Amino acid sequence: MTLRWLKPEFRKHGAAALLSNDASMGIAPPEDAPVKSPRGYWRWGERRGGGVSILIEQRAVWVNSGLIIVLMLACTAYLSLGSVILDPRDVVKALAGQGDIMTGFMVQELRLPRLVAACLTGGAFALAGILMQTLARNRLATPGIIGIDNGATAFAVASVVGMSVSLAPSAMALTGAVTAAVLTFGLAAGSGTQGYRFIVAGIGVGAVFGAITQLLLARVAIDTANAAYPWTVGSLNARSGGSVQLLGIGLALGFVAALTLARSLTVLRFSEATASGLGVNTSARRIQILLLSVALTALAVAVAGPVGMVGLIGPEIARALSTPRHVPVVAATLAGALVMVLSDLAGRTLLAPIELPVGIVTAIIGGPWLLWILMRPQRSHA
Amino acid sequence: MNDFRTAPTLATEALSMGYGARRVIDGLDVSLPSAKVTAIVGPNGCGKSTLLSGLARLHKPDVGSVLLDGKDIQRLPSRQLATQLALLPQEAVAPEGLTVTELIRFGRQPHQGWLRQWSAEDQRVVQHALLAAGLEDLADRPIDALSGGQRQRAWIAMTIAQQTPLLLLDEPTSALDLGHQIEVFELVRHLAGHGRTVVMVLHDLASACRYADHLIAMCDGKIVDQGAPDKVVTPELVRKLYQVECTLLTDPDTGSPLLANVRRAKQTVCV
Repeated sequence: MTLRWLKPEFRKHGAAALLSNDASMGIAPPEDAPVKSPRGYWRWGERRGGGVSILIEQRAVWVNSGLIIVLMLACTAYLSLGSVILDPRDVVKALAGQGDIMTGFMVQELRLPRLVAACLTGGAFALAGILMQTLARNRLATPGIIGIDNGATAFAVASVVGMSVSLAPSAMALTGAVTAAVLTFGLAAGSGTQGYRFIVAGIGVGAVFGAITQLLLARVAIDTANAAYPWTVGSLNARSGGSVQLLGIGLALGFVAALTLARSLTVLRFSEATASGLGVNTSARRIQILLLSVALTALAVAVAGPVGMVGLIGPEIARALSTPRHVPVVAATLAGALVMVLSDLAGRTLLAPIELPVGIVTAIIGGPWLLWILMRPQRSHA
Repeated sequence: MNDFRTAPTLATEALSMGYGARRVIDGLDVSLPSAKVTAIVGPNGCGKSTLLSGLARLHKPDVGSVLLDGKDIQRLPSRQLATQLALLPQEAVAPEGLTVTELIRFGRQPHQGWLRQWSAEDQRVVQHALLAAGLEDLADRPIDALSGGQRQRAWIAMTIAQQTPLLLLDEPTSALDLGHQIEVFELVRHLAGHGRTVVMVLHDLASACRYADHLIAMCDGKIVDQGAPDKVVTPELVRKLYQVECTLLTDPDTGSPLLANVRRAKQTVCV
C-alpha cells in the first residue's frame, strides 16, 4: 500500500495501524486537553468540557471599531460643513443641546435629520446587498441590479407625475420595490434564487420598469418631470419623516435578523449541496434572507430613491477588510452608511451652492472606486 | 476499531426520482451495509448521482422513501440529519482564501450553536480529522494553494470532522490523477475501517472492484445487480453496463476482479 501521505507512525506499522485506534497510538490530543482558541479568534468560555463557548473574531473587532470611528468622524464633518461652516466643537455642543440657538437649529433641525437618513439608507442598501450577494453567490447580484430599485422608481415617478398628490411617493416606492421583487421571483420560478436565470430575470424586470419611468417622464410637462427627477437618481432631499422612521425600525430589526442568520450565511457561501450537507435548511434560509434583503431595499428606496452602487461598494469594502471566515454583515452595514454619508457630504459641498443628488455622487465616485477594489490583487489570507 | 457506538442503517424503499416529468431512477430498493464501502457504478446518465442525492436528501423522491434507521429522512430536521450523514458533492468549491483548518472547522457546524461555538470536543475532532487525512503539515495553507488530491482530502477531512457514521461521496476522484486517486481511496478504506459506512459514486469500475466491499451496478435508472465485487462483476455485467467486452482476471494480491482485454462490444441494451 502507498502510505506516503500518512503519519510516519502509520507508515511504520503499515496497514495494521490504519485499523487501530489513533488515540491509543498517542497521536491524537488527549481527551481533556485545555481548549485553545482557533487562530484569529478570542474564545470566551470554559477551558475544558462542553459548556458555553463564544468565539469572537479578532479581525472583525478591529475592522468594525475602525469603521465606527471613521463613521463618527465623517458624521462630525457632515454636521460641520455646508453653506455655513461650523466648528466641530460647537457641533458637539449643539448635539448636547448647548451653545447658541442658531448653531443648535442648524445642526439639530437642518443637518442632523438628513445625516440620520443618510446613515440609515446607506446601512440598509449595503446590508441588503451583502445578503443578496451571498444568497446568489455572485458579487454583482445586488437588489439594485436585479430591478428592485427600478420598480420603486417607476412607481414613485408615476405617483408624482400622474396620480393624485394623496398617494405619497414614498409609499409608492415601497409598493414598486415589492412588485418588482415578486415579478423577478415569479419569472425565475423553479430555478431558485441561484444562478443566472434569477439575475437575468431581475435585469429584465428592471429594464421594463426603467422604460416605464422614461415613458412617464417623456410624456409630461417639464415642471412635473423636474418634480419627479429626484426619484430617478436617488436623493436625500425628497425624503419624508415618516419613511425615515419606518426605515429606522426596519433596519434595527433587519440588522438583528441578519445577525441571527450570520452562521447560516457563512455556510451558504458553499454550494447548495455542501450547505445542506452541513445541516442548513437551505430552502427556508433562502426565503428568509431574500425577504429580508427585499424589505430593507424597499424601505431604503422609499426614503432616498434608487441610490446606485452603495449596495455594491459597502459589501465590497467590508469583504476587502475582513477575513474569508465569515460574511461581514456588520462591517458591510457600517461601510454602507459611511459611503452614503461621505457621498452626500460631497454632493452638498463640492459644487455649492448647486447641490448634487447623492445618487449621482455615488455613481461618479463609486464606479472607479469599485473598479479599483475589484482589480486590486487579492490579499493573501494565509 | 469502531469509532461509532451505533451504526445507523440507510436504505431506500421503492425509490423513484426525476427532474420534472423525466424519471431518472425508478423503483429502487437498496440497502447499504454498515461499516463497509459501497460503490455505485454504471454508465453516464444511469442515475447513480441522482440516487446519491436522494440518499443525501438533496432531492425529494417522487415516489418511495429513503429510510435512516427505518425513519423517512424527509421528516428529519436538517441539523439532526447532518449529525448522521455527511456529504461531499462533486467538485466542491470553498470560499476564496479559506485555510485547510478553517474548512475542516465547518464540519463542526451541525454540532455547534450560538452558545456553543468552540468546545474541547470540537478542538479534538478537528485535530483528529487533520491527522486522519494526513494534512497536519498543511493545516494553515489556503485551500486554493493545494494540489487536487490534497484539496479532496481536505474536503473529506471536513466530513470526518462532522463525525457522522454515514458518509456519501459523489465521484470523489473524478478530477484526480492515479496517485491522487489512490490517496483518496486509501483514506476512504481507513474511514470504513473505523466504523464509517461509506457510499461513493464512481465512474471507474476497476477502482470500484479494488476498493469497495459492496457494489451497486445501475443502468438506465434501475439496479442491474448488487453485492460483493467478485460475485457481481462478470463479463456479462460489464457488457450490459458499458457495451464493452472484457476478460476478467483475479488480482493476485487482493482477490478482487481485474478487467483485461477490454474492447467495444456490439450494441446491447441493458436490463
